[in-house]
Amino acid sequence: MMNGYKFIGGLFCLLFLSINLYAQNNFTVSGVVTDSTSGETLPGVNVILKGTSHGTTTDSKGHYKINVPSSADTLIFSFVGYKRAVEPVNGRNKINVVLQTSVVTSEQVVVVGYGVQSKRTATGSVSAVSGDKLDKAPTVNTTQSLAGKMPGLVTIGHSGEPGHDSATLRVRGQHTLNDNEPLIVIDGVPSPGQGLDRLSPDDIKNISVLKGASAAIYGSQAANGVILVTTKRGTAGSPKFNFKFNQGFTQLTRTPNMADAPTYLTMLNELNLYRGNPPVYSQQEIQKYADPNSDPWLYPNTDWFAATLKPYSNQTKLDMSVSGGDESIQYRLSFGGLTQDGAYENSATRYNQYHFRSNLDGQIRNLHIKFDVNGRWEDRNYPTKSASQIFEGLVKMYPYLPGYWPNGKPGPAFENGENPVIMGTSATGFDNSDTYYISTRLNLNLELPVKGLSIRGTGSFDKNLIQEKRFVKPWSLCSLDRAGYKANDGDPTNYLSCSEQGIDNPELFQQSTDGSNFLANVIGEYARDMGVHSLDLMIGTEYQHKNSAFFNAFRTNFASDKVPQFFAAGQAQQDINGTGSHGARMNFFGRANYSYKDKYLFEFDSRYDGSYIFPKGHRFGFFPSGSVAWRLTEEKFFTDRIHFFDNLKIRASYGLSGNDRIEPYQYLSTYQFGLGYIFNSDQLGHTLVPGPTPNPNITWEVAKKFDVGIEAEILDSRLSFEMDYFDELRSKILIQRNASVPLSAGIDLPRENLGKVRSWGYDGTITWRDHASDFFYNISLNGGYATNKIKFWDEPPGAPAWQRSTGHKMHTNLYYVATGIFQDEAQVQNTPHIQGARPGDVIFKDVNNDGKITDMDRVRIERNDVPDWTGGITLDAQYKNFDFSIFFQGALGTSQYVRTASGQFGNYYQQFAEKRWRPDPNSTNGMKPDPSGAPYSGPRAFNRVEEYWMALDNTYFYRKTDYLRLKNLQIGYSLPKNIASKAGLDNMRIYISGFNLITWSPYKIGDPESAGNIGGPASLADVRGGHYPQKRIVNLGISLTF
Amino acid sequence: MKSLKYLLSVFLISAYSFMGCNEALNVQPENKISENVVWNDPNLIESYLNNIYRGMDHGANQAQLASMTDQASSIPDLGTGIVLKSEVTPGNMGNLASSRSDQYKWGPLYSRIHQTNVFLKNIQDANIDDQALKDRMTGEAHFLRAYFYHNLLRAYGGVPIVTEVYGLNDNKQDPRASFKETVDFIISEADKAAQLLPTVETGDNLGRASAGAAMALKSRVLLFAASDLYNTNPSGMPETGYTTQQDRTQLWRDAKNVAKAVMDLGVYHLFRANPAPGDSVAKNYYDLFFTQHNPEVIMERDFSATGRSLNSNYRPHIYHGPNGYHQWGGSTPTQQLVDAYKMKDGSDFSWNDPQEAAHPYENRDPRFYATILYDGAPYRQRPADDIQWDHDGVIQTFKRLTLPDGSEVPGLDTRDSPVEPWNGTWSGYYPRKILDDKALPSEGQVPGMWIYFRYGEVLLNYAEASIELGEYADARSALNKIRDRVNMPEFNSSVTGQALMDAYRNERRIELAYEEHRFFDIRRWMIAPQVMNEDAKGITITADATDRADRSTYSNYQYTLMTYQDRLWKDKMYFFPIPQDEMNRNEKLVQNPGY
Repeated sequence: MMNGYKFIGGLFCLLFLSINLYAQNNFTVSGVVTDSTSGETLPGVNVILKGTSHGTTTDSKGHYKINVPSSADTLIFSFVGYKRAVEPVNGRNKINVVLQTSVVTSEQVVVVGYGVQSKRTATGSVSAVSGDKLDKAPTVNTTQSLAGKMPGLVTIGHSGEPGHDSATLRVRGQHTLNDNEPLIVIDGVPSPGQGLDRLSPDDIKNISVLKGASAAIYGSQAANGVILVTTKRGTAGSPKFNFKFNQGFTQLTRTPNMADAPTYLTMLNELNLYRGNPPVYSQQEIQKYADPNSDPWLYPNTDWFAATLKPYSNQTKLDMSVSGGDESIQYRLSFGGLTQDGAYENSATRYNQYHFRSNLDGQIRNLHIKFDVNGRWEDRNYPTKSASQIFEGLVKMYPYLPGYWPNGKPGPAFENGENPVIMGTSATGFDNSDTYYISTRLNLNLELPVKGLSIRGTGSFDKNLIQEKRFVKPWSLCSLDRAGYKANDGDPTNYLSCSEQGIDNPELFQQSTDGSNFLANVIGEYARDMGVHSLDLMIGTEYQHKNSAFFNAFRTNFASDKVPQFFAAGQAQQDINGTGSHGARMNFFGRANYSYKDKYLFEFDSRYDGSYIFPKGHRFGFFPSGSVAWRLTEEKFFTDRIHFFDNLKIRASYGLSGNDRIEPYQYLSTYQFGLGYIFNSDQLGHTLVPGPTPNPNITWEVAKKFDVGIEAEILDSRLSFEMDYFDELRSKILIQRNASVPLSAGIDLPRENLGKVRSWGYDGTITWRDHASDFFYNISLNGGYATNKIKFWDEPPGAPAWQRSTGHKMHTNLYYVATGIFQDEAQVQNTPHIQGARPGDVIFKDVNNDGKITDMDRVRIERNDVPDWTGGITLDAQYKNFDFSIFFQGALGTSQYVRTASGQFGNYYQQFAEKRWRPDPNSTNGMKPDPSGAPYSGPRAFNRVEEYWMALDNTYFYRKTDYLRLKNLQIGYSLPKNIASKAGLDNMRIYISGFNLITWSPYKIGDPESAGNIGGPASLADVRGGHYPQKRIVNLGISLTF
Repeated sequence: MKSLKYLLSVFLISAYSFMGCNEALNVQPENKISENVVWNDPNLIESYLNNIYRGMDHGANQAQLASMTDQASSIPDLGTGIVLKSEVTPGNMGNLASSRSDQYKWGPLYSRIHQTNVFLKNIQDANIDDQALKDRMTGEAHFLRAYFYHNLLRAYGGVPIVTEVYGLNDNKQDPRASFKETVDFIISEADKAAQLLPTVETGDNLGRASAGAAMALKSRVLLFAASDLYNTNPSGMPETGYTTQQDRTQLWRDAKNVAKAVMDLGVYHLFRANPAPGDSVAKNYYDLFFTQHNPEVIMERDFSATGRSLNSNYRPHIYHGPNGYHQWGGSTPTQQLVDAYKMKDGSDFSWNDPQEAAHPYENRDPRFYATILYDGAPYRQRPADDIQWDHDGVIQTFKRLTLPDGSEVPGLDTRDSPVEPWNGTWSGYYPRKILDDKALPSEGQVPGMWIYFRYGEVLLNYAEASIELGEYADARSALNKIRDRVNMPEFNSSVTGQALMDAYRNERRIELAYEEHRFFDIRRWMIAPQVMNEDAKGITITADATDRADRSTYSNYQYTLMTYQDRLWKDKMYFFPIPQDEMNRNEKLVQNPGY
């Protein structure tokens, strides 16, 4: 009986409208559908003939009319937010239905590859979330709002930089030594030009994640999991306008506290003491930096984070949509825009986005048409210095220098003209990029004159244009002649000299990238419900082609820095470059579902996949998978004995899928032009750089996925429960045999299909939904654990057990184990130590007990930046006109290495300053501890990497970044219907929401999720977004429907 | 079942219609060039060869090889400290394996050797009609292969000689060849190159290997082969030197002959060999290193200001200049090097001579002024934000300047400077010879050159072999040419034997300072235990002044010697260790002694 809910094709659930039944249309049923509480009629309700895909929706007045083959058929009425109603026709021509509202907001269908399935009878492991859940987070990046929403989906929000704040998504953690990026499919189009990051949550109907073996329907791209996104579509009815406005205030979640000027100068004196040199700064002078009444020209005490960052920045977002239509055509049009300011004062960073989407559905007799167009303009603006450079500067910059002099002139630089208060502004030029993205999709679905048979096809075309323009120009900074001013007093501005910084000549770089993506598929489907047997067959083929090209140019020697255009530049040193690339895939796929009495469920998915990445003859791979489920609640023997289960299902899946996210053409011996070599003073000789030795046998990584799960609903479905265990063996991982092939062979090793990694874990969710009279609520807890182990890769033999990586988690490193701080010389002498160790240094553990500290004492620490445990807990509640949602999210198992270039070269974290071992100021070489503060828990003042414990990675600086966050909070109030309608509105809701409001983490220095530690060397994260902490957002919003 | 058939046929029709697209999976890379195209196009073949030249790299790094000798030290250390303290291990080679460029690294050198092997294999059947071009390129490849092996030889001793192009599944574990076999191989490669190449390159081939370059390389390698280290061979391993008694006279004779052969080519001359009256000979000597294609150069690599993406890590304008000019200090000279410069009259400099000690930077060998920036050295105008403290553009490495009001200020080019003190010198000196004194630190790419072989070196090689053979007159005549160029007094016939040897070694130390010779010379001469056990010395200077910004008001200079960097020599440092990872990959390798 349940197979009636099996709809054909992922996006078709709203499409099966009331036209045109072709066979044996001999009985007509009509009626009206109303809401049980308000009694109002309901437009847009789906009315489906059970066991088929035929159906209609109610019109704007809640009326429906449907032809059914026989008066003994059954109709099913479903609508978002309402409980399903099942009505046997029983010979009636008129059936009026009253739908009960349901706190179960998510529809009980899940989107799977190339189709949708009823959640109850699905056999695969799928997590899903509806768009309105995502909409509750006031973040503008959809990947950020996915955190903790779905069991098994791990998100790592590396950065909060506007325009570069996408979270890394991992389905059930990491599975391969290579690229772990999952496949993203939007409205049936795999890997569209742009991911789901910039898709407005307002346009998203739902997102589901294929976690188990059934992802095999996506074959060679499925091994890392598949994320399927479905956008909202129109429903028949009079036009419904929705207008939503959000005003957010953002600030960085957590920035480090830095040592102030007196502390910093004291530490510099300590550094001198360690070298046996006299202090550079007298106590008297240091005191002047501490005294707020000192001359601000001579004795600034700058908190650089406060000087550079704004208290809060603005974020504004507007969404509008209209949807409606009649029986033959439905539409949903949406338009949105947003703007997001950077965190710096006078920020040059700003992200603007404008997007529209037009989803049309039409029916012509038995042909269903969908035509979608969407476009987006992403406008990113940055200063010429990257966020990593700016935050590195903020951590390094001397607290005894001013950001701005008291007369408003910018203060001096650190080096390279870098003064953080200037770096975030447009004083140094600009770095803009505009991305234009447009995609079109046409989908036709023809119901053939054979019952249950349909054929559909999709054609999609995306176009992607990126225009980047970066203009760097000199800027001005001012330094003070302290000695002169101190000696002569008078007007300090006489001693201030300002000069051009950075570069001598403005430079302009422009790049234009042009990409396109074409996809076509044809799918046939046959679905029949034959008494106790129901069968659904789907078979399809798909072809995909993509290409991209870029072109860039550089010129310098500008006549003026006011004209950032190429024509104004000189001829010398100009540079032009460009190239292109192609890719193509084609494949055949199919799925068969069979169920017996909805009790025993079987599914078989497979894909025969071809990719241009591999050599001819190795180009196609076959990826089958099977899954089974058993619904115990359909068994009489079970329900007779155990009554409280409304649903209990056990399921399992096993299958193969592939991963082809590797550099293409590794089977070819190829050459690329290199940087060139100069002959005869300035004649640039071309250089041709050989690629790696080709590997003619290169092929896919193969994942063998196993998943077993249980789903249950009890207490009238108020409590639902779902739990999965998964185990995956990824083999043929492409690795280089760097550890076993001598470098003397000279060959640049190709990747070979050698590595093996096992990954396994659990994930699940428990939800409680109920209401006490008018108080509706649901609490949902979800979580997942995922870990992995390298089974084989090319590791040199002979490493001791505590250093081996084989048999351990991937992507982990070796560290010396820090066991404390040498308090005094006696302790140094009595403990194995690195030559030259002295009091105040970090004690390394002598792991192999040989009395020496050597390379061999490093230990593999099984933590990295991908959490093992992730989860979230949500409470949604509604009382009369108030609604409330609170969401906590957390992750365990991650660490970050804290690295700074402190010392003479830059400031210290306040935390390091406070805990530091301190020398007796009267000692001549700093070897004796200052007894007043002993014992000390942190190392002494250090100078960059001069101390061994700064140069050698050790656990003292490898800090745990586990966290729990109040990720999301929303409180809303909807105007009572009668008041709203007086204002001509259907609904008006005002709300306040927050994002990343509170963070609990043992990591106090920066945001626990940020990429690399804040202030770490820019070179380690010198990409857009690097080191920019996550944002906290407080948001006010209003939503109007009319 | 009928419907199933229907479904299947629909599918098959559509699948068939896509079959045309199957061919479309045959997309070719657009951003890459495939092998068969390359080896049939002379231009692309030459491009392949050009790329191999990049493997020769250059010595103009931030941490020059000199900073791991008694000549200099690196300000930011960059892994030089563990080399200077003999703490190098196969697992941690410090600067020898990390931040410096590729020219002595095991892996990159073998990767380049592989490329020459590929070239020599493919060039035979390559589709090139122009036999002269084919010969020239073949000769260049032999030269390059010899050059890479000569760097391996200098660093590691005898190494695996790989001339084959290995496939993926070949056994690739080769044992080390003996020192002798490696020398012989290099010589035979250099001979092949010399045979195929023109004596000198001209026009747009300037910068390519020539027969002259191949002979200069041979001269250097034969000088090494004759040297003490490899003939004493303390470890007795065949990889680190000769295991049987060689005819040293013959070795020196060979070395002398090939140096003489280069001299007899008649195409190379000392740059500004005969200074005109009124010439600044210091400038003549400095210009040698910044004048492309001057007649002294046997082989050089050019750098140009155009082509901004060359990314050659060649930044002689910012790596080594004083911090008071916003430059990075780099490889700063030690007091040991400073003191090695003789007085202008040829006598030794001595701190015990009160006159000399009071004015240590006066009346020195002109090359001192071209090589070293010292306190008081006139340099160039300060950048705008620093000019307030120094109107004259004079180097300030004094520790303390006392002003009339009793206040004390630090020198601008020190570690207490108001300008980027972390780049300040530890020793009190900066290098000038390797510093482009025209370019601004903010310039990304500057024109310039790195000299691989120059005539001056060949003259010195000739002199060394002559001294070892007791042919002192030949040695003096070569040395005097070098001294004439800088107006240093000639060695007269009374200088012979050990005295001449000592004078020669000091001459070589000074003449070739910062040119990547000293590191190997102190090893092959086996004097490293003497010179490398001494801690690096520098100078502390104080003075008084009435106006900080006006150098002419300075007086009362006090010079105090100090040490600033610990050094320790262990004999294992005669050779680099073979990296531990490579030892693990190849069980046939034998590690160098002491590791």
